[in-house]
Amino acid sequence: MKKLDKRLWGLIKSTKGQFFAIAVVVAVGLMIFVSMGSAEINLQSALNDYYKLTNFSDLYVQVVKIPEKEIPVIGAKYNFSAAEGRVVSEVPMITDDENERVTVRVTSLSEEDKINSLYYIEGSPIKDKHHDVVMIQQFAEARGIRTRDEIRLQINGRQYKMTVKGIAASAEYIYLIESAQNMLPNESKFGVVYVSEEFAQKSFGFSGSANEITIKLNENQDSEIIEELIEDDFEDFGLKRIITKENQLSNRMISEELTQLKNMSSSIPILFLSIAGIVLIMMVSRMVKKDRISIGVLKALGYSSSQIIIHYVKYALSAGAVGVLLGTLFGTAVAGAMTKMYIDFFNLPLLRINVYPQYIIWSVAFAGIFCGISGVWGAKGILKIMPAESMRPEAPKTGKRILLERFRFFWHRLSFSWKLIIKNSFRNKKRMTFVLFGVALTCSLMVATISLVSSTLGLFDKHFTEFQKMDYNINFSTPLNEEVVKEIPHIIKTEHIEPKIEFPFELSNGLRKEVVNVIGIKKDTGFYSFTGLNGESIEVSGKGILLSENLANFLKIEKGGTIKIHSFIPERDDVYLTVENIIKQGLGMNAYMELTAMGDNLMENQLISGVYVDSRDPDLMKKLIKADHISTIQSSQDMLNVFQEFMGLTIMSIGFIVVMSGILGFSIVYNATVISIGEREMEFSSMRVLGFSKNQIFGIILRENMVITLFGILMGIPMGRYLGTAMGNMFSNEIYTLGITADIKSYILACGFTLLFIILSQLATYRKINKLNFLQALKNRVS
Amino acid sequence: MEPFFIKAENISKYYQMGEVSVKALEDASFELLEGEFAVILGPSGSGKSTLLNIIGGMDVPTSGRAFLRDEEITGFSEKKLTEYRRNKVGFVFQFYNIMANLTARENIELAVEICKNPLDIDKIMESVGLLERKDHFPSQLSGGEQQRVAIARAIAKNPEILLCDEPTGALDYTTGVSILSLLRQVNKDFGITVAVITHNSAIAEMADKVIKMRSGRIVDIRTNEQPMDPERIEW
Repeated sequence: MKKLDKRLWGLIKSTKGQFFAIAVVVAVGLMIFVSMGSAEINLQSALNDYYKLTNFSDLYVQVVKIPEKEIPVIGAKYNFSAAEGRVVSEVPMITDDENERVTVRVTSLSEEDKINSLYYIEGSPIKDKHHDVVMIQQFAEARGIRTRDEIRLQINGRQYKMTVKGIAASAEYIYLIESAQNMLPNESKFGVVYVSEEFAQKSFGFSGSANEITIKLNENQDSEIIEELIEDDFEDFGLKRIITKENQLSNRMISEELTQLKNMSSSIPILFLSIAGIVLIMMVSRMVKKDRISIGVLKALGYSSSQIIIHYVKYALSAGAVGVLLGTLFGTAVAGAMTKMYIDFFNLPLLRINVYPQYIIWSVAFAGIFCGISGVWGAKGILKIMPAESMRPEAPKTGKRILLERFRFFWHRLSFSWKLIIKNSFRNKKRMTFVLFGVALTCSLMVATISLVSSTLGLFDKHFTEFQKMDYNINFSTPLNEEVVKEIPHIIKTEHIEPKIEFPFELSNGLRKEVVNVIGIKKDTGFYSFTGLNGESIEVSGKGILLSENLANFLKIEKGGTIKIHSFIPERDDVYLTVENIIKQGLGMNAYMELTAMGDNLMENQLISGVYVDSRDPDLMKKLIKADHISTIQSSQDMLNVFQEFMGLTIMSIGFIVVMSGILGFSIVYNATVISIGEREMEFSSMRVLGFSKNQIFGIILRENMVITLFGILMGIPMGRYLGTAMGNMFSNEIYTLGITADIKSYILACGFTLLFIILSQLATYRKINKLNFLQALKNRVS
Repeated sequence: MEPFFIKAENISKYYQMGEVSVKALEDASFELLEGEFAVILGPSGSGKSTLLNIIGGMDVPTSGRAFLRDEEITGFSEKKLTEYRRNKVGFVFQFYNIMANLTARENIELAVEICKNPLDIDKIMESVGLLERKDHFPSQLSGGEQQRVAIARAIAKNPEILLCDEPTGALDYTTGVSILSLLRQVNKDFGITVAVITHNSAIAEMADKVIKMRSGRIVDIRTNEQPMDPERIEW
């Protein structure tokens, strides 16, 4: 080992705390890079393979009814790769617990089986066309259903006993949720069963027809252009909506996850490596200053400046190397755990845990670049050191008055110790600014994460307890006369019941259009509470239409504007309505109208598509399942319960980000404090000689840092709010709108965590004060 | 016989330097009377700083005892040593060791803030001839002025003993003499016992008592019947 390298080893040993703190920041950055990057590749490649293997559909066209023979005609017209018709309908599944609400989406399997082929896990495809079903894997697992088990389906008032012939996964349901409003899967309460075409057509009354067409495009076809073109072709069959692959619910959710992974794996590591780089610059330049005489001696001995610079750059690179080692090791392990989590979360049979060596190579390169540049930057002071000059004592540092001293009224009212603390805080402005921003960054990351997650939690709670307050949302299989509202209380005990119309329409403003469910509700509804953008209470008046904020933003329309409503019901003209108001809605994207006005303008008079019910009837499910014309029953409580189960995972991810941000804050403040103690060794030694105790000196440092921390936190709160809003906007889509709400508890929590990590970093520096050799320091000529 | 103010009793101090044990001080014994001006004289490595540090409560001996009146300094706990340095001892160093970002007055305030019976800062500044320069930062002061700040800082605490480690070591002759005169003046005006460490034998002439050291041992202790006026000292 060269002697300089031996000295390097000594340097590392004498600064092991700081060295390790930097290495940990590098490691965390690289860990996120490796883990999220690898998880993203694992997920993306498994998804691509799965879609290819099962020939995942490019377009889904939902219609009221289309004769099967029409499908190949349209397919040939546009030269689609394949087009298949199917019957899709949601029905209750009857279980031993009569009060349990279980909905299954019955989907017919085309005999051609060219699009959305199933991936069989267990059993075999349907053999007995009248009794066999294939069940989706997640639902079967959640309910403990095996092949050869019997299930009972309630279709159009009739019960069908079916046998589970096979259990399969589907690319359509990698993420199994009932609708966009559910957001989270409830696998034991919602499932998919595949039946033969023959059975579906017969039981649902779709003889020789279908209500959904899946289309596989040719490679050169663009789904958005085709979507525009085929609208007219399906118009006559009661076109409800066309869903592109991008907007397909499961694909959309998994794509959102992939985008988030991609964004985080590219931005967060840069943040961590930059912070590590800045700390390294500070540390190395301090070392160079401290080693001024030694560097002078080395130069006098004949070492070149570049040799000495390399010596210090090696220090920075060593910290990077330890970071790479820890980061890639933990990153690979976390990538495995994350992929495993995704295996649980998304039903992706081809998902495998793979290690990607290119991430290790990239990590080495990134750490090398960041740490290398920082090392050179920090060590550049070596160039200015002249051997003879380095042996002479340095000129005393220039003292200056700080700006605050000019405010005499304020300054004279401060005690001496506070004056000292404030003056010391401003002594090294660059470092103070760095610590200030470091604390602000830590606090803002915590504020953004905690308040965003808390807002999301609030969003669900608010949606199901304040925005919409019904216990049950009951949908009929076919529109019924409003009079049915009077009949339902004869079947179940109800506290309150209201009719509703819920039907999809295409809303457009100029070229911007979106298919959403328009909901018709009573003027004096007790089930919805709408608030405007300024928090004012809003009611449906029958004079126009209310749009959810995200819908209005998407359509770029404001209050008072006119919107075109295109109906998918055959032979209905387009209707133009005034946007009466824009309302806040956290979950989903909808439009609302007064029930009668909706009936008059968009539907048939006095027809309703379902009811909202408040009921404590313990036998509600049992009674309603037996009733005719009931398609689905959604319980708000069930949705909230699923959400609460999800909380554990959420808390874990908050914890992860809090710890990561805390490590960042800890490292910044710890290193800055240790560097400051090193610079002020003489000063603290003099204070010890003057009779200051170790605790008093520590108290001074603590108060100095706490002043900066306080300002950092004050800066961090609005920064966090801004960051949270930006993150919220980034993650918001038509399924949910995330926004930061003024939640004092989140801010207190975020500030508390920030303070905790800063105090921990301060306690870690106490050892330095304790070990301060004040006799030795006082003999030094260089402070 | 006059009772002693400071007493060192068979003090030894050994340092372990790797595998070698270095004797910094061996069996050193002496007494100082209250109000005395003492000079501890010796070449580099003779153990004079070690002796001063032990008396000042900045270091502990390997063996032997040190007393301030009837209190045994060497038996003090860490906390008691801090209090001792805070209230009873004033230190002046060769390289001044004052804070660069504090003005002259603020440097003195720093010391005064924590002790029990401090003296009036402005009076002290006037007595060291720095009242006009009290709002200047160290970088705006000459070496001699900086050392005056250090002396003012030490005496403003109203200590019982002033320990000075080569106080003129970094100064030119004229400034050195003016600092020695100031120390003598402090000794007389405030009645503070002063112990000055130096390798400069000329300075010994101004002392009431001279303790001569060599190779960690006290080789001679003598009393000057007629100490010389610092202004007349030459080197």
